[in-house]
Amino acid sequence: MSDHDTTRALAVHGLDVWASGPRGDVAIATGIELDVRPGEAIAIVGESGSGKSLSTRAVLDLLPEGVRATGSLRYGESDLSALAPRARRRLRGRELALVMQDPFTMLNPVERVGAQVVEALRDERGRRLSRAARRAEAVRRLAEVGIADPAVADRYPFELSGGMRQRVAIAAAIAEGPRVLVADEPTTALDVTTQRQILELLGELRRAHEMALVLITHDLSVAFSVCDRVYVMYAGALLETAPSRELRDRPRHPYTHGLLLAEPPADRRVERLAGIPGNVPSPGTRPDGCPFAPRCAWAAPACREGTLPPLRETAPGHSTRCLRIDEIATELGHGGDRPAVTADAASRASRATLVTVEGVRKRFAGRRGHGGTTALDGVDLSVREGESVGLVGESGSGKTTLARIVVGLEEATDGRAEVGGVALVGRTTRADREALRDTVQMAFQDPYSSLNPARTVGATLREAVRLAGGERADEERAVGELLERVGLPAQYAQRRPSALSGGERQRAAIARALARRPRLLVCDEVVSALDVSVQAQILNLLRDLQRELDLALLFITHDLAVVRQVTDRVYVLRRGVVVETGATASVLDAPAHAYTRELIASIPGGRSLEGSTRA
Amino acid sequence: MSVPDAKAAVVARDGRRRRSRSRGRARRTGMPVSVALCAVVLAAVILCAIAPGLLAPQDPALIDPAGGLQTASGAHLLGTDALGRDVLSRVVAGARSALVGPLILTSATVVVSTFLALVAGYLGGWFDAVVSRVADTVYALPALIVTIVIVGVFGGGWWLAIGVLVVFNTPTALRILRAAVIERRDLPYVEAARTIGASRWSIMVRHLLPNLEPMVVTCFFLGFTYGMVELSALSFLGLGVPPGSPDWGRMLSENRVQVAQNPWAAVAPGIAIVATVLSANILGGWIYERLERRKRER
Repeated sequence: MSDHDTTRALAVHGLDVWASGPRGDVAIATGIELDVRPGEAIAIVGESGSGKSLSTRAVLDLLPEGVRATGSLRYGESDLSALAPRARRRLRGRELALVMQDPFTMLNPVERVGAQVVEALRDERGRRLSRAARRAEAVRRLAEVGIADPAVADRYPFELSGGMRQRVAIAAAIAEGPRVLVADEPTTALDVTTQRQILELLGELRRAHEMALVLITHDLSVAFSVCDRVYVMYAGALLETAPSRELRDRPRHPYTHGLLLAEPPADRRVERLAGIPGNVPSPGTRPDGCPFAPRCAWAAPACREGTLPPLRETAPGHSTRCLRIDEIATELGHGGDRPAVTADAASRASRATLVTVEGVRKRFAGRRGHGGTTALDGVDLSVREGESVGLVGESGSGKTTLARIVVGLEEATDGRAEVGGVALVGRTTRADREALRDTVQMAFQDPYSSLNPARTVGATLREAVRLAGGERADEERAVGELLERVGLPAQYAQRRPSALSGGERQRAAIARALARRPRLLVCDEVVSALDVSVQAQILNLLRDLQRELDLALLFITHDLAVVRQVTDRVYVLRRGVVVETGATASVLDAPAHAYTRELIASIPGGRSLEGSTRA
Repeated sequence: MSVPDAKAAVVARDGRRRRSRSRGRARRTGMPVSVALCAVVLAAVILCAIAPGLLAPQDPALIDPAGGLQTASGAHLLGTDALGRDVLSRVVAGARSALVGPLILTSATVVVSTFLALVAGYLGGWFDAVVSRVADTVYALPALIVTIVIVGVFGGGWWLAIGVLVVFNTPTALRILRAAVIERRDLPYVEAARTIGASRWSIMVRHLLPNLEPMVVTCFFLGFTYGMVELSALSFLGLGVPPGSPDWGRMLSENRVQVAQNPWAAVAPGIAIVATVLSANILGGWIYERLERRKRER
């Protein structure tokens, strides 16, 4: 058996992860098989609730309290189950190291970063290094992760940008020369341009140190851009594994097929995004048989019975759990060449202007008059009736501040902002505010905190209907209509937000925003917290709403592919200034500003842009 | 990995699963034994307060000049005090004043501090500044000493004592609740309520208040235990409850001089105070944790 093969940096066999909850034990993941050769990069791809994070925590022997794992784990020559806890602890850092999603919580805020990088280092006799040696080592190791300035070693984590922090975290993780580096969503909290740099750095370090890389991500294109092989996880099970290119071109599981299709293409606008219907089942409510069967277009009765289907090899290095793969193989992997459609922006060019923003500046004062930041520095923006306008930029570009000014949650320091005929700078009357709310409403980024957890969806919507001036007798009907409009069943009115999935919550939040029948809906990163398969559903919903209700959209996002799908015109913001604006297609295909070009070049994989790099 | 190994792993997994299932059940059906014990103590005290006649073996006010200062016996389980009154009956009867005072005190404190916390925390500005500075000032005063002075000067009314203690206990709860309001006031669901046009009052009452529930409950239990100790201390000093009425603090002070003759007369009310305070405290902590967990799960 290949399990005895010592050429594995990491081998996981039959790993099960359990969590004990108030209602007994719940399986988080079952039957996980992984093997990683030295110097190889693999990706574990899955949506939220797939169990990918806890499975890798189990591999690292870092499970939180109340979660247990069984199965066989081997790091190089050592078998984890044969080791005492003390020896296991020593393995971490030397054999295995971890880089986490949020570099800020991973670093100690009260310790200088140089000290953290070399914290675990000892000399040959197991003693701590001298002060000078530590400092020199820290500077050298920071240089290795691309921080050339030796002064950074003396800074604290909060003085560094997100990308710099992630570099420091990586330097600290590889300090002891581990054989396997596990990176759990290392770029999710970063901007696209920084993401690309960090991914490149991980690739370089892996080659330079002959280190195996295990990348955990929700983003298939990130996985393809860095890793040799990809494991696809869904609802606690590994559904498919294959070399990256093979998986991309010839998926052999309907779920992978769906994921590939759900990713919005950045190079063209498609008629309809292919989301996967339904939601990821949560642990404890997973179906019998194939966990994906309830959402699968090809599911047969046999798929819904018995236990988890076995992992079967269909080609060398390519395995799938799909029972029907032999029958449906030819149908998978197609549909990616959906025809491009052009946005019908021209028809809206003559319509009345809804939002006029001219020379708007916004300054946030620091404490007691010190410091302070300029979020917006003279921004012009306009939105016409029924038009969909994108606002693109990285964190700190001021895009959310601009959106909040348009909605009236924030007041501009300077300039002119007019929405639906209401001037928003200076004094506003009660009637002005009422008029504003009838014109513009907002949908927020985080669907988990944008609904009041203590109230049912129905109560939240009834309040919105009442405030819109609806008759009390008519409330129930109006709530039902709103739910139907966003594609939620009427009985969801009785549920609390906790009983809804992320996508459903976002639908409910959009329904609330629609209660006042606004003419403009401001969407602040509404899909960035959602899984890819759900993201497509919400984007389709927004496009439908725009068309059916003649609703204008102000769509704020960092994701250029999303902008391409939803908007007619786009503004590119950078540090509070609009650097480029124009029709979405022409800005993305022929960017005029260097910053826009950089953003486009940073889209991971580049696959989705193969056809459009002519600019 | 060899085949026998795999089998062993499976067995181990099953064994472990079963064990923790039973543990899970124990957790679901109820509270830890210590908390259950506290609930029983509190229930007993509440029963004594509602129906003292049911449990007290004698009339707690019945004076027997000849039978003073008896030690524990079959007739008087905890002996008698200097006036020959049955100590057990008086401890049972004392439960009412022990509970009612802190209950009124804490209810008033929690209502006042929740209201102030919502308005000050959500609106901020000058109102918040005034409320917070006044709260800090009151917090800095020695509550019990000032209460003793005020109650002493104005002639020892029980209601006056309660009123003064409400003022002194409010800052503690106010600070906790105000911080909780500030933590939530910029959350998206509050901003969403603002954008759909909800009034400030409706945001405070409908959106913020329901989410403060675990904090309010904690403040209630904390305030209750604190208030009970304060009121007992006042009656120990002869302020508050009128002389002669069965009250744990007063019994403690009246009977402490004869502690050599019948120690139970002074020790029993002391134990009653400690047991009640401790039980309320532990039970309150447990309820808070449950509410928080439920909040997190939903």
